[in-house]
Amino acid sequence: MRVPRDRVALVGLAVIVISAALATLAPALAPADPARNDLLARLTPPAWMAGGSWAHPLGTDTLGRDVVSRLLYGARVSLIVGFSAVVLAGVLGVLLGLVSGYYGGRLDDALMRLGDVQLAFPALVLAIAVLAVVGSGLGNVVLVLGVTGWVTYARIARGETLSLRHREFVEGARALGARDAEILWRHVLPNVLPSITVVATFSVARTIIAEASLSFLGLGIPPPAPSWGAMLDEGRNYLTTGWWLALFPGLAILAVVLGINVVGDWLRDTLDPRLERGL
Amino acid sequence: MTPLRRAVLWVLIALVVSWHPGPGEAAPPTSVGGVAIDPDAELIVALTDDTPNLDPRIGMGSIRSNYIRQLFESLVDVDHQGKPVPGLALSWKPVNDVTWEFALRRGVTFHDGEPFNADTVLFNLDRMFRKNLDRWGIKDVAAGTAFDKVYPFVTRWEKVDDFTVRVHTSEPAPTLWDFLGREPLVPRAWTIKNGVEALNDRPVGTGPWKLVVWKRKDHMAFERNDAYWGTPPLARRLRLQVIPEAAARLAALRAGQVHLVEAVPPLDAEVLGRNAAVRVVTSVQKLACRVYLNGRTKDSYESGGRDGAFVDPRVRMALNLAVNREAIIAKIFHGLALANASPVATVAYGHAPQPPYPYDTGRAQALLAEAGFTRDNPLTLQLLLPAKHYGQAFDETVAAVVEMFKAVGVQVTVQTLDFGTLLQTLTKGTLPPNGGFAACRTSNNLDADDFVRDWATTTLVNWTPYPPELLSLYRSTRRQVDARKRLALLADLQQRVRDWAPVVSLYQEKKAYAHTTRVLQFVPTQELNMDFRGVALRR
Amino acid sequence: MRAFLLRRLVHAVFVVWGVVTVVFFLVRLTGDPAALLVDPSATREEIAQARHALGLDRPLLVQYAEFLRAAPLGDFGLSLRERRPAMRTVLEHFWPATAQLAFAALVLAVVVPIPLGVIAATHRNGVLDHASRLGALFLQSMPSFWLGLMLILLFAVALGGLLPAFGWGTPSHLILPALTLAAAPLAQNVRLIRAGMLEVLQHDYVRTARAKGLAERGVIYRHAFRNAAGPFLTVSGLSLGFMLSGTIVIETVFSWPGMGRLIVQAVPGRDFPVIQAAVFLFALVFVAVNLVVDVLQGLLDPRARVFGGGA
Repeated sequence: MRVPRDRVALVGLAVIVISAALATLAPALAPADPARNDLLARLTPPAWMAGGSWAHPLGTDTLGRDVVSRLLYGARVSLIVGFSAVVLAGVLGVLLGLVSGYYGGRLDDALMRLGDVQLAFPALVLAIAVLAVVGSGLGNVVLVLGVTGWVTYARIARGETLSLRHREFVEGARALGARDAEILWRHVLPNVLPSITVVATFSVARTIIAEASLSFLGLGIPPPAPSWGAMLDEGRNYLTTGWWLALFPGLAILAVVLGINVVGDWLRDTLDPRLERGL
Repeated sequence: MTPLRRAVLWVLIALVVSWHPGPGEAAPPTSVGGVAIDPDAELIVALTDDTPNLDPRIGMGSIRSNYIRQLFESLVDVDHQGKPVPGLALSWKPVNDVTWEFALRRGVTFHDGEPFNADTVLFNLDRMFRKNLDRWGIKDVAAGTAFDKVYPFVTRWEKVDDFTVRVHTSEPAPTLWDFLGREPLVPRAWTIKNGVEALNDRPVGTGPWKLVVWKRKDHMAFERNDAYWGTPPLARRLRLQVIPEAAARLAALRAGQVHLVEAVPPLDAEVLGRNAAVRVVTSVQKLACRVYLNGRTKDSYESGGRDGAFVDPRVRMALNLAVNREAIIAKIFHGLALANASPVATVAYGHAPQPPYPYDTGRAQALLAEAGFTRDNPLTLQLLLPAKHYGQAFDETVAAVVEMFKAVGVQVTVQTLDFGTLLQTLTKGTLPPNGGFAACRTSNNLDADDFVRDWATTTLVNWTPYPPELLSLYRSTRRQVDARKRLALLADLQQRVRDWAPVVSLYQEKKAYAHTTRVLQFVPTQELNMDFRGVALRR
Repeated sequence: MRAFLLRRLVHAVFVVWGVVTVVFFLVRLTGDPAALLVDPSATREEIAQARHALGLDRPLLVQYAEFLRAAPLGDFGLSLRERRPAMRTVLEHFWPATAQLAFAALVLAVVVPIPLGVIAATHRNGVLDHASRLGALFLQSMPSFWLGLMLILLFAVALGGLLPAFGWGTPSHLILPALTLAAAPLAQNVRLIRAGMLEVLQHDYVRTARAKGLAERGVIYRHAFRNAAGPFLTVSGLSLGFMLSGTIVIETVFSWPGMGRLIVQAVPGRDFPVIQAAVFLFALVFVAVNLVVDVLQGLLDPRARVFGGGA
């Protein structure tokens, strides 16, 4: 039954669009500067509780910074990291996968072996080690999360390329003198895109969570930048005394990731039912 | 009295005398201050982390000290007020300007029965100063403090008799009793026989607790040393449980799974203080947290030809005046910290209280202008922050201080890195000219010298070396044997250092501990370790 | 079959070697551990001396050759922090602590979804189906450590110590951490099985089996599930890798004395021997499990082998 699915997917899409809109409009919407400390207003509870005020609707954190503002600006960081890292991984992975599948031979062997090695590597250890070398920062975190994610895309792209390589239209195009790059771009890539899109959608969700985990271990975007993961990390020492610090960013992550996952489900059902087995 | 009766009398007397309990063989007390206690109890204490080693030579930071000092002891012990008291040495005194004599305690044995005597002390001194290692057949270890480098004026040591040791120096050393006397001592024959690596597995010491089980990263279990030279502990077993998460530590305390918790975060300490089933105790520590600034001249670090931006003491003083310490102590620490303008911790011997740095942003900006920084040419600071290394409150303080610097016109960028990378940057000397770093400093010793020494030699943390007049004043404190004169010199030095402001002092730590009402007589110390000798569990 | 096994074994050895080599050079890029081992008031000479004592000032390739020589014998050097054989430290942390946790989580993530996914598929669009899908979606959408913290808050604090908040030893200590670790893979597997079963249930051979009058249970498990199981097995093998990686975060939240916490301390502490030994062990376990999964897949579904290597 497609109708309920579509409705749920619509809600998910709405969540994503709203988050992106809020993130973009953050400077206009935020009640306060997210980095401004106000020690006297430290740990004020949300407005509807005793001691709260509507100047800080969802309360303030351990340094008196407004939670709503940090959530809004944090949406920027989480969404940018999520999408950029996946775009990076996707482009890198698809490129490598296309080339690997098309040309085969030693290049293919080498790339696939490299992929196997990377998969056997505990992902967090790789992230920790690389970030320790290059230092943490928005760009570096995107780089690390992107570069470590290429393998799945490469495999899918390679699989498609392998099965298409000898098909008639490809052979025909080659006979007509088309260059390899053209063939890959014009004929192979469009067939790869549906599966890649589905995988990428789920990856965005996973990347947002991965960024939160990195922040939990102290390796995410450094302070005072307001990423949701960093907010969760700051809030975990105040679970009983300042529960709003961990709850709201946690809910934010949950909402956005849920939305993305739901949209991903719908995309998969629409674009490529075959993939149900592979995910 | 007939000869027979006299003989019987003597035999009876001998029997009575030999039946009298010797040290450590007394039945453990069953009540304390009128309250019934459980002498067979296991005291469970939750700590933030495990120790990587038990060999005291490898390192004695605050976490390690908690484990190491239950097993091992030093010549000089410390009471709960921070005063030195006899430990393994009964007394120590200078016999002349260049010789110290330690009189050792008799009747002390290590956990395996090996006797403690002058030979033990000589062996340990050899290890500390890396002498005669091949003679003993033991390996060197990468040591936390290399005594031979830091105290090169200690020349030789010898035993006068089995319980007296003399240490000779090449110049007067009034604090020798402190820097030698606080190092925990390991057994001689045992270490030679088993090798120094065995010290990290199942070590034996002279301490009030014997090691039973060490499940790494999980817990360490001890049992009472009944042959202890002092009063044996009041609980039969001790368990140091590792719980890294503060929330989990407190949850365990509330659920009764542990009896005592260290390092209670300030806000939780306040909340717990209102809970009737829990007692919160606090104690001032020697940990001083600061922002260190690059004040080196261009030839003393990898500068690319530029002096450090903070060579001018006016700039450093301006930054000190820009910090609102009252707000930090009240809001972030809830009173569990104090402001100290002296470079020496308030509880160290030789501390002279200094007028606090006022919070005066106007004066700060005036000083910066005097030093040549204006709105068009602002002072910039690249601050390196080792996040999560010193705890949440430290990270929050630095974030707040950064905003305070910005409020007086300094452009600050914060770079978070892990502690190891920070140390590496400092070792290589690659701190940028306008660089600074936030770090804390504590001390294993009792004397002020440990603190004021920071700016006298080329070390990792010394980025504002003493100018010549302060250096010679420091050196004179090192050599002054008369206690009163030395205290006066130290006071003078502290006052000048306060005005010279080598660093931006942030706060000095007060640690909070929480325990259930079953725990009796727990008194926190000012040292890096907790002392459980007098602690009992109510029945 | 034998050629297949041999090929996979060689491949496995290669992967482990690759991982270990990458780690070897990567950690040495992260910097110098010598500064961490001495007093912060140490001088440059002392640090250089410490570095020499650890053998870290030798040329990289010499160190690498030495490492390759000793590692297959199980000798990964001495932990820089603890001064004991690194592999012994790692094994002590892995067994039984992390092994218990990963195994319990794996069992939860593999066994529990089977009936759940099957029921969801056979009662498509029923209440159970929607509930399980919603639940699975939620579980996959939250960071594992947040879930762990919420569980601690719920069970250990709010419900007054129903389950312990920290530590290791009894089965009740294992419940919360294993649940948290298994949550996301469990959710994913429920959806996978459901999807796979849905597709398979439409096929001819299922209709045939039903027509032959076989009991429904037999149809579902003997015929349908066997064919649906393939991708689910592959994913389980991969998810072990993610799970081992996930222990890093979970062990910190629950104070579990396992390999994850060891690594969290060893990387910033630059304890090279321990990092190398730990990653080696991870890779070994991962590769071994995937080998087993490959073999199982080959046995369960002969067709899968045609698509062979690379997947």
